[in-house]
Amino acid sequence: MKQITLTPIKFSSIALEFDELIPDEIYGWSKEDFEKYEVPVGNSRFPLTDYYDIEVEGEAQSPEEVKMIIDGDAGRVKYIGCKMDAGEIVVNGDADLHAGAEMEGGSLTVNGNAESYCGREMKGGEITIKGNVREYAGTSYIGEWRGMSGGKLTIHGNAGKQLADAMSGGEIHVMGNCDILAGIHMTKGFIQIDGDVTRWPGGQMKNGAIVINGRLERLLEGFELDAIVTDPEVEGRQFTGKYIKYTGDIGVNGKGTLLLNAEKNRHHL
Amino acid sequence: MAYEPPVTDYDKIVENCTCAFCGSNCDDVDILVKDNHVVGVRHACRLGASKIMEDEDQRLTVPMIRDENGELVEVDWDTALDKAAELIAGAVRPVFYGWSETSIEAMKPGLELTELVGAVIDNQATICHGPTVQAVQNVGYPLMTLGEVKNRADMVVYTGSNPMNAHPRHLARYTTFPKGFFRKRGRFDRTLVTWDPKYSDTAKLSDIWVPFEENGDYAFCNAIRAVLKGKELKQDVISGIPKEDIVALTEKMKNTQFGALFFGLGLTHTLSKQRNIDIAIQLVQDLNKYTKWVLLPMRGHFNVNGFNIFMSYEMGFPYGVDFSRGYPRYMIGETTTIDLLNRKECDVFMVIAADPGAHFPGGALAHLADIPVIQIDIHWGPSTELADVVLPGTFIGVETAGTSYRMDSVPIFMKKAIDPPETCREDEWIVNELLKRVTKLKEASK
Repeated sequence: MKQITLTPIKFSSIALEFDELIPDEIYGWSKEDFEKYEVPVGNSRFPLTDYYDIEVEGEAQSPEEVKMIIDGDAGRVKYIGCKMDAGEIVVNGDADLHAGAEMEGGSLTVNGNAESYCGREMKGGEITIKGNVREYAGTSYIGEWRGMSGGKLTIHGNAGKQLADAMSGGEIHVMGNCDILAGIHMTKGFIQIDGDVTRWPGGQMKNGAIVINGRLERLLEGFELDAIVTDPEVEGRQFTGKYIKYTGDIGVNGKGTLLLNAEKNRHHL
Repeated sequence: MAYEPPVTDYDKIVENCTCAFCGSNCDDVDILVKDNHVVGVRHACRLGASKIMEDEDQRLTVPMIRDENGELVEVDWDTALDKAAELIAGAVRPVFYGWSETSIEAMKPGLELTELVGAVIDNQATICHGPTVQAVQNVGYPLMTLGEVKNRADMVVYTGSNPMNAHPRHLARYTTFPKGFFRKRGRFDRTLVTWDPKYSDTAKLSDIWVPFEENGDYAFCNAIRAVLKGKELKQDVISGIPKEDIVALTEKMKNTQFGALFFGLGLTHTLSKQRNIDIAIQLVQDLNKYTKWVLLPMRGHFNVNGFNIFMSYEMGFPYGVDFSRGYPRYMIGETTTIDLLNRKECDVFMVIAADPGAHFPGGALAHLADIPVIQIDIHWGPSTELADVVLPGTFIGVETAGTSYRMDSVPIFMKKAIDPPETCREDEWIVNELLKRVTKLKEASK
């Protein structure tokens, strides 16, 4: 097992890009290799040691045996864990844009907030954000019609607008509140939101399932009321209590499922 | 309005010039010239005419550099260009913003310079129709040319835009009033509809006004789509509009022969941003199951669309393209100008043919005040107050010829009517000079 600890010593307002510092690339690196490495900053590259104290303990034969800890605020470090396939990354602070984007395996934990595009086009693995996320978590690349397709994204705080745009697989669990248009253009996959939702979940969704345990303010006309169900099972998960079940979005002939907690959403009946 | 007698004292008329104001690019403008000055403009609207006529007002004529006392002082071209090149060559996160009021010919060396230094190149779409471009990437672009609308359209819908104030000749020249091949009676053969929370000047002129509530656009379009799919609406009032009205409007839209939907920033910048456009495009796609419908964004500057077309053609991305890693990247919120400024990432800012000082949010301007700004423009404006190097350009379409793209993506060559002031240089020349000088500096530092 190899543990790499990066402790920030200098803040750069121009974001650092960490897409090359993923377990798949660095499992064989020694401390000297890290000290030689130059990290992309804007249109240049500067030594990583300008920004971080680096400690390397232990040995690893494969990416699975790597644990990388960014021990402090990474609010200006983009692409943390981007395209990682194995191993573990922990951020003890905030993470900047594209945390865990295009991730295929392994795990990423952010003990703070994450900026936009967290888990963009995620294919596998597990991301846990202990704080809030901004816009477009688990979404697609701009213009792409296939978003997150696998893995699990857990958000302990709130999620911003347009969560999981064009989601085609995987699972998202938001424990806090969620802003407009969660699961827009969704074709498959599962979203659970425990808090309140402002407007329009599932806009133009074709398939997949969204479960909202809090109060939903506004529902789109594209959703048809199916029934009131008790203790429903959705995609292999059991929920207890009464739920209002909708199908939609009929604007796109969608067969998606939207379940609203009946107690908190009486105003829709 | 006071009566103004027609201008009779002029040397020559330069016919069929193109107006360099809004995205309508009216190319039937006649410019009256006397002693190499514009003394009158015919056919243009008041906005276009005033831009062409009053161009001499507050004109930038000589290059300037801000000295250590914070004052702009006049310098020669070599000094100003060398200073600008030095700033660009030494930057880590340069942003080159603007381009929408200059020609495609000037964009070409601009893109070369961007690639050379690994900068971000962006245009005004980043603060106007950017969401439109994103939606077009997602769900397609059922567009037409304005000539088709003139000759065929029997229903014209404007939403989130007020062309009577912002594109004054749009209705008169392209969409509503002109007599077309299949619309012999002009206005009488067309139904004009406005969807807008405000009772705008265009709404006053319309046959039908749909005042949906602010931020209600997404749910409104969703309801029309549901009606088109045969659903009976459940809610009595959707986005502030009674359901009966939505059903009646949908029927009318289905029963036209050729419908055209025009939308402006009122749609792109409300709550759901690009998703409003996304659903409007899909609504147009749905309507095409019944009859012919098309859609077009009301672009603002005369060449804002040109930059998007040029960049898409050259680099595959329409705006906000970042070359910092050597290859083009495009990500809203990351490589777009306002975000780079708000996050205080940008360290050298070059603005060409735009006025961020007048349009950007306070946070972005606060950062602009802290970093070196290079301005290439023809007028003294709020951006000049922020600029450290000022390079005076020439007025495309009046002093310099060049290519622009109309809002419906038709390229139009804009001819020149008068000669530019002797001390000014064409944008294309300035950007080419910067490219040469930065290349020399980069080679010297290798």
